[in-house]
Amino acid sequence: MAGLELLSDQGYRIDGRKATELRKVQARMGVFAQADGSAYLEQGNTKALAVVYGPHEMRGSRSRTRHDRAVINCQYSMATFSTAERKRRPHGDRKSTEMSLHLKQTFEAAIMTQLYPRSQIDIYVKILQSDGGNYSVCVNAATLAVIDAGIPMRDYVCACTVGFVDESPLADLCYAEESGGVSSLALALLPRSGQIALLQMDARLHQDNLDSMIEAAMTACKGVSKVLDEVVRQHLQEVSVLSRE
Amino acid sequence: MIKTEKILHLKSYRGKKVRVVREHYLREQVPCYSLLCQADCDNDGKVLPGDLSHYVVPDVGVVVDYLEILEFRELRGVVFTQTACQALQHSKGRRQYNRLRNLLKDPRHDCVLFVNEFQEHSYCPREKGESQEQWHTRCVYSAAVWYYNHLAGMMDVVMITEDQDAVVRYGALNPGVYVMTDFLQVLRPELQAAHELYGSVSQALREKESEGSQREFAEHLPAEVLEAGIKSGRYVQGTLNINKHHNEGVVTTEGLSNKDADLSCGVLVCGGKNRNRATHGDVVVVELLPRSEWRGKVTALAEGQGEESESKPMATGRVVGILQRNWRDFVVTFPPRDGTQSQSRNSQRILAVPWDHRIPKIRISTQHADALQDHRVVVRIDSWESTSLYPNGHSVRVLGRAGEPGVTWWLVSVCVCSQLREMPVNSPERPWRVDPAQAAARRDLRESHLVFSIDPRGCEDVDDTLSVRSLAGGTLLELGVHIADVTHFVTEGSLTDLEARLRATTYYLADRRYDMLPAVLSADLCSLLGGVDRYAMSVMWQLDAHTLTVRDVWFGRTLIRSSYQLHYELAQALLDGEPAEVPELTQLGCEEKDAKLAELSQALETLTHVARHLRAQRDQGGALELEGVEVRAQLDEEKNITALVPRQPLEVHETVAECMIYANHWVARKIQEAFPHQALLRRHPPPRQEFFIQLAESATAKGFTIDTRTNKALADSLDRAVDPQDPLVNRLLRMMATTAMSQAVYFSTGLQSQDQYYHYGLALDRYTHFTSPIRRYADMVVHRLLAAALNAEQGVGPGTAVASNRELEELARHINQKNRAAQEAQKLSTVLFQCLYFKERDPQTDPCCTADAIIYSIKKDGLLVFVPQYGVKGPVYLKNREGLVVAVGQDGSCEWQSGSIRRHSDHITTSCGCGTSTFRLFNHITVRISVHSTSCHADSVKLEVVGNKPHYSAEPQQPHPQGRSQLVQEVVRLAEEANQQALEKKARRPKLSREEREFSQSKTPNLYSLLEEVRELALLDREPAAQNADPGHKR
Repeated sequence: MAGLELLSDQGYRIDGRKATELRKVQARMGVFAQADGSAYLEQGNTKALAVVYGPHEMRGSRSRTRHDRAVINCQYSMATFSTAERKRRPHGDRKSTEMSLHLKQTFEAAIMTQLYPRSQIDIYVKILQSDGGNYSVCVNAATLAVIDAGIPMRDYVCACTVGFVDESPLADLCYAEESGGVSSLALALLPRSGQIALLQMDARLHQDNLDSMIEAAMTACKGVSKVLDEVVRQHLQEVSVLSRE
Repeated sequence: MIKTEKILHLKSYRGKKVRVVREHYLREQVPCYSLLCQADCDNDGKVLPGDLSHYVVPDVGVVVDYLEILEFRELRGVVFTQTACQALQHSKGRRQYNRLRNLLKDPRHDCVLFVNEFQEHSYCPREKGESQEQWHTRCVYSAAVWYYNHLAGMMDVVMITEDQDAVVRYGALNPGVYVMTDFLQVLRPELQAAHELYGSVSQALREKESEGSQREFAEHLPAEVLEAGIKSGRYVQGTLNINKHHNEGVVTTEGLSNKDADLSCGVLVCGGKNRNRATHGDVVVVELLPRSEWRGKVTALAEGQGEESESKPMATGRVVGILQRNWRDFVVTFPPRDGTQSQSRNSQRILAVPWDHRIPKIRISTQHADALQDHRVVVRIDSWESTSLYPNGHSVRVLGRAGEPGVTWWLVSVCVCSQLREMPVNSPERPWRVDPAQAAARRDLRESHLVFSIDPRGCEDVDDTLSVRSLAGGTLLELGVHIADVTHFVTEGSLTDLEARLRATTYYLADRRYDMLPAVLSADLCSLLGGVDRYAMSVMWQLDAHTLTVRDVWFGRTLIRSSYQLHYELAQALLDGEPAEVPELTQLGCEEKDAKLAELSQALETLTHVARHLRAQRDQGGALELEGVEVRAQLDEEKNITALVPRQPLEVHETVAECMIYANHWVARKIQEAFPHQALLRRHPPPRQEFFIQLAESATAKGFTIDTRTNKALADSLDRAVDPQDPLVNRLLRMMATTAMSQAVYFSTGLQSQDQYYHYGLALDRYTHFTSPIRRYADMVVHRLLAAALNAEQGVGPGTAVASNRELEELARHINQKNRAAQEAQKLSTVLFQCLYFKERDPQTDPCCTADAIIYSIKKDGLLVFVPQYGVKGPVYLKNREGLVVAVGQDGSCEWQSGSIRRHSDHITTSCGCGTSTFRLFNHITVRISVHSTSCHADSVKLEVVGNKPHYSAEPQQPHPQGRSQLVQEVVRLAEEANQQALEKKARRPKLSREEREFSQSKTPNLYSLLEEVRELALLDREPAAQNADPGHKR
């Protein structure tokens, strides 16, 4: 590899951020009227749309019904135009199945499913533009959508990726950094309690560095949660103003 | 922060164009690194001073083409822009970029990097239709303007460019920002050296543009293709080594895990076309030729002997690409202008001949062609286009006229390393006293321990001392190694430290040395001289007095006073009980003197005893005794060489070396345990088996078998391969084994797995260099690591490692490179001295020039011989260019006659009219030594065969004075070793079967075997030097 310098001697990354800085996060809730809850979230150039239906009666095979809690059903997909080269993405390929499973696990940990026995909650997430950190953007978007749907959660679920370059962790990787051969880690956190909902890493990393990575990821997640909180509060304000009128 | 977007058009891996959108964040606060800053920038690190008349902002073109000039330290206040750095990285590659990075890191250099593209106000997005050059220029200009405004107009800013349009466009826009092209002439006219360099660089650039288009070489393949090819196994990557004598190179592949057996001994690259512009040391990619075109290595000594003189064919290939150039500074000679070169076409381009045979001629464009005739000049290669037969370069510095005294010295130093600048002495000369605070913090050994040093005669930089005493009523022995505490004086990051890091090692040449540290430190404050208080870093072992097993080990900082400063010969004399005059004791009274002397001798004896045990221990593990050629030149007052003296091995050498190896080993263990991923150790990888082929073949000729599978087996079989008639045979075999060894290297533990730490030559699982911090930088790093480890243990101070794994690895690489250079310089200086010695003598008449030589290799048309008296190795031709061969007369004298020559595996015969004569491997012959001198290259020693009988010099060989005592020591050592072996056996298999116990012979030495050994050793004149591939101690 001709070698992109991921972290310069002065401490800048290729897009001008410092090691701990997140990308710019912008979000909107309630973008669709038909769905029970929906949200649109941009994190840098990664853009995702999340839609939530439910809780409603079990659809499809009723055998999956749980008598004590709700079943969460997640579906992840990427738009054909989401990357630089247009590519047809059939449903149910390995990557998106895995991602769906991860999302499901994450939200099972966060949503208070015991309040809705024998019912089902559907979460659909679509990546409109992909520029790294797809998983974490999906989680953040879906959190907003679930909140929009009025489904009680233990806490926000915030996710962030962290990469490891030159002995220092980089928060919120973009695509160029992800593809530069960095060992990265994705973490979903319930920020208030500090509980980890999901931790995923499929690269090699020395054990000694793991703690600092997780530490950095948690800090980054808390940063994300602050932004999300602000978005939710602003949305509530707007909605309450509207309803008063 | 403001988010913007940058749109790039990149090529995808399939070759399609892809539109890539990248984010680009801008910020208000970007540090300006200037003392004049009004806006509270976060300036940590290097800062530009405020007392300059202007700051310089070089344009992209200037940075790319003239980086060498910007490296001048006289140019102060240089602001490099990020735009320029990135452009440099793209166009010139990593090597140049790293150079710039080092420049920015170097605190002696007044330059900073301004990250202009992330600054809100200095960033300018590329406009539609704007060319890249224009855009770059605009970026740099806006950065310059930002600087001017940011510093509130207190500092003028000069943007330098090579582009006239830019001057026109931006010149008058802003009052404080000047744009100019001929910066050097206008503002810094006094920098003569910079001007010359500028001229030569710009000339080279101009020539490059007007290059012809006739293709001489195949184009190199693009990097992606090479990478894919290497991965798929189509191409082979390796380092090109060019043979000194022939026009052929061998690409040695890295990593031993070659699946293909054909490639295991490298890939041959014959001829200039196949080599395709690669030079010695480059990392290249080769494509294998079809098997039908494979050739063998040339085995003849002379060039142009035709096709038939080749060994069995090996893998042959051609270079298709170069991954990394090994271009450094070369010394060349400008040839005298006598019309032999066709310079009429363009008188400004001259083909200069490099000093090193392996480097092709370099085309230099210069306007001072006449002035440079016959001068030796340092040049750099700029490029080598496929259209040109020779590389293009520019001159950097003129050294002097060829053949001038002193110039040759420069050659040796410049050729192998970068400049050896004399270091500025920055510690003031003042009466130095022990600091009471330090004295309290250190363990005081001044009164309690008898500390002494043993070094070569006349040594100034004493960095190791020893002590030994018995404790607890004689049941314990305390062995101490005390090393000069250099790191106390040289703090990390100080100027001295940086300079030392740059030099990495002290250069010992045949008659002089170049110090790593300034003389105040190396010869005085750090040097553990006799009779003065000095700081030291100590390792002390408590050993069991009988079994000599380690009970306890202590590391720490100490305060010592060395009582005796001995030299090797004196120490040996004391050991042997011979009368010797110790200079420290001459003033004392007779009785006191005797008591002191007895004490010292006792200590030396104990030390030798311990060292023998340690040595035996290592021999068990398979430590090798190897042999190198070493000669010291003796000079008289007028610096004339009076004699070449081969080094005399003494037992005390080994004793000291053994203690040092032990200390190194224990320190290596300590720091490796404290910092598993950031310790600097030294490893010696096992050699490749193919390199032993010559050794094995030669040994077979004498009827020995050499087992090279493990170091233990090799050591044992080398011990067995002794010809009672001729002690030199063993020495030669050991020498051959030494050349087969790979080089020991420093490394950071984080980058190798634990089983790679092994030191093959010393047979130790962990090893480092700790004992010579005055002359090796690696030892200083290890000292710091040890200090950090001790701090961490005691919980005081920062217990973190000195450097991260990556930094340490970078450092290790640098030190390795410098060490190799130093070794090369040592070798060259020895050759030079040999030449100087023989140059003054007439080979026909002077008896010194006729000497005994021993044949160690047979080639197609000659022999390779070794002259033990002078330590010279070289070729002897049996067939000259006219086709005449050497014929041996009745009395053993030789003359040239026409005839034929035949080579066999272990002998070579020449036949002519008056009969045939045979030269066998390991035969002794008589050679005449003369000097072959050329104007461009180094002088070389030429050997000519005079007779095929051994040569006996006029004076009888004086009997070795220590012969007897050494013999005794040798026997004792062997006995010790055997003892050890037996002990170990016992430990390993405590229960022998009854039969074994009854019938097998005991392993402990009995009287018979001892006598046998005495007899065997008596046959040898003296045992060859016990010298290791990696001596722990200085010679």
